[in-house]
Amino acid sequence: MRPSARMRSIGWAAVLAVCIALFIGLTFQVNSVKSQVRLAERHIVALEREKMMLETEFETRASQQQLANWNTVEFGYRAPRADQFLENERELAGLGTPRAAGAPAPIRVASAEVPEDSGDSFPAMVSPLTGKAFAAEVDDAAEHAPAHSRETLSGRLTRGAARIVLRAETVE
Amino acid sequence: MTSLSVSTAISSGRVTLVNVRQRSLLTARLRVLWVVAGFVAVAFAALVRIGFIGLFEDAPASRSLSEALLPPRGEITDRNGVPLARAFPAYALWYNPHALDDGGAPLVNSPAQVARELVRIFPDMNVQVLTERLASGRAGYLRRRLLPEQANRVQAIGEIALEIPQETERFYPQGSMAAHVLGYVGADGHGKVGMEEVLDKRLSDPAHRGEPAALAIDMRVQGALEDELQKGMLATNAVGAAGIVLDVDTGEVLALASLPAFDPNKIDEAGAKNMFNRVTNQVYELGSTFKPLSIAAAMDAGVVTDLAKRYPANRPLEIGGFRIRDSHSLGASLNVPETLIHSSNIVTAQIADQLGGKALKRTMADLGMNERPYIELPARGFPIWPKGEWPRLRTMTVSYGHGIAVTPLHLASAYATLVNGGIWRPTTLHKVEPGHAPRGRRVFKASTSARMNQLLRMIVSYGTGRKADAQGFRVGGKTGSAEKPGVGGYRHHSLISTFASAFPMDRPRYVVVAMLDEPQGTAASSYQRTAAWNAAPIVGKVVPRIGPLLGVMPDDSRDIDLSDVKPLVHGGASE
Repeated sequence: MRPSARMRSIGWAAVLAVCIALFIGLTFQVNSVKSQVRLAERHIVALEREKMMLETEFETRASQQQLANWNTVEFGYRAPRADQFLENERELAGLGTPRAAGAPAPIRVASAEVPEDSGDSFPAMVSPLTGKAFAAEVDDAAEHAPAHSRETLSGRLTRGAARIVLRAETVE
Repeated sequence: MTSLSVSTAISSGRVTLVNVRQRSLLTARLRVLWVVAGFVAVAFAALVRIGFIGLFEDAPASRSLSEALLPPRGEITDRNGVPLARAFPAYALWYNPHALDDGGAPLVNSPAQVARELVRIFPDMNVQVLTERLASGRAGYLRRRLLPEQANRVQAIGEIALEIPQETERFYPQGSMAAHVLGYVGADGHGKVGMEEVLDKRLSDPAHRGEPAALAIDMRVQGALEDELQKGMLATNAVGAAGIVLDVDTGEVLALASLPAFDPNKIDEAGAKNMFNRVTNQVYELGSTFKPLSIAAAMDAGVVTDLAKRYPANRPLEIGGFRIRDSHSLGASLNVPETLIHSSNIVTAQIADQLGGKALKRTMADLGMNERPYIELPARGFPIWPKGEWPRLRTMTVSYGHGIAVTPLHLASAYATLVNGGIWRPTTLHKVEPGHAPRGRRVFKASTSARMNQLLRMIVSYGTGRKADAQGFRVGGKTGSAEKPGVGGYRHHSLISTFASAFPMDRPRYVVVAMLDEPQGTAASSYQRTAAWNAAPIVGKVVPRIGPLLGVMPDDSRDIDLSDVKPLVHGGASE
């Protein structure tokens, strides 16, 4: 065997050895990642179970019967009566009394003319439920609803609440 | 060879010494070789074993994440997703005296010492009993359920004989609430009694048990109904109570209560006695609550065309030696609204007589009174349904709810038909998606239904149902107090008091039926046994609690228009 051929075969053997070493190293690496994943999964399962356990405990402690018992002993809340609900603005206005003679002039409130589409410039109130801007949500709902549909009073009241009134003007 | 080398060593001094050195070197090399060969053999054997394990042995059981998170049995929720039944892995404490497997004592420490340690973890256990138990050497449960931290502390005692097997726990967070709807899971792992039995296949199927099964029940409504029924039952010393809340347009059962209930978390003998479902399984003669159905049938058939027409009511109706009488004299004559308001048997029987047995029977059959109630629950009672052609007397008694016995669920379904425009739909415990309600079948004309809504509202406004008139909720309904049949006729002091109602009457959405089994006259019911004094007040308290939850707001400014029927009634005309 000539020296060059000998060198070549040694070279091949070295390459093979390196490849095998790399392969083994990679296998170990893969296995260690796999076992990490398995460990993480077991952790997830344990946490999920704990979460469910706590959730169930909460549900049990706050069961309907328990709440009803607390209510009879501690709070005494009762079902809302008809006069605690307002159907529309007319009913709301009906709660007011006419100005008596000699009563002081009504308080002036500040008000600003805000164009309909510039609501975005104000800091948006974020709904804790959806994470969306509250005003945007209300406006969306208003857009999708048919024009003739009757909006509830609470809806109308909260829609107005998202805007800030700035310019002073007399109410009367 | 050894003898030869020894002999040469003796014969030639120096040469032999070299030989000896070489030979001992050879021996040493040979020994090293042996050791190396031994190591190689061991390493080879280990490699072969590893290869064998890798190739032929089963992999260690590893479950994927989704499998591990899959509940052992599907969850049951109410219509809003609140869990009513869920399964999770739990631990039990099992005593295995043969765990050490050395033929000696089952425990490392003395039984008394182990018992003391256990009582430190579970203070409700008894040291004496536990010591005897551990000393007896019998295998068995020491405790059925352990919390995880308790399991850790038991592990820390260090007794191998105390095993902590993992088991599946079926838990009902709401306790005994809706127990008859849910049922329970038996020791064999299969559902019993309620929806656990009905949905057993789906709840244990790995493909489906991941997502919860939603029922039509609304937990808050169920809670309010059970609470008020329980109070009413205790206040009147009744032996039992039943209640239903039904959506009139879809047939969904929003609440179904049968009291006394049982606790599905703890099935014992006392609980097993109460598993009987009064709403779907027991049939009762429900009495006067049938009158609106009979009047509606007569109206539908064109027998009652004039609500102002007066019928004689001053003397008992004699037919075939049987006398139909009213509880007290209601006047010389009554028109139709007055008949319902004062609940007159005599006039209802006359109207039913004019209608005829054939038509009444057909209407009752259309309302599903001749078959088991439509509900998923396994316990469904078959009505006592008079077969063949109904003779005159039978027609008359059925018209005011005697001689026919149905479940309270039948009644609720019939009232839903009466108020929703006349369409009968099967009742269901499965949640119905909006727009997917069954078509149902028409029993009454829409005009009849509209008229009956007025009359039902009048009964609550001016008649026997006044105690159910929850302010602002426009309740309408009919009382029924029927004597229970006993040996040798009806028992005058054992009543079934029922109030069947709907609200709001200007656009009926929900039917509420409350029933008390053998209520007594107590101070709470003004010493009366009839439904006006015990069942009607329950509805009057339930409706304000459930109305706002179901989207019906109380409103004093709205009511069904009674202006055309009001003048026909004595009390109404004066108002």
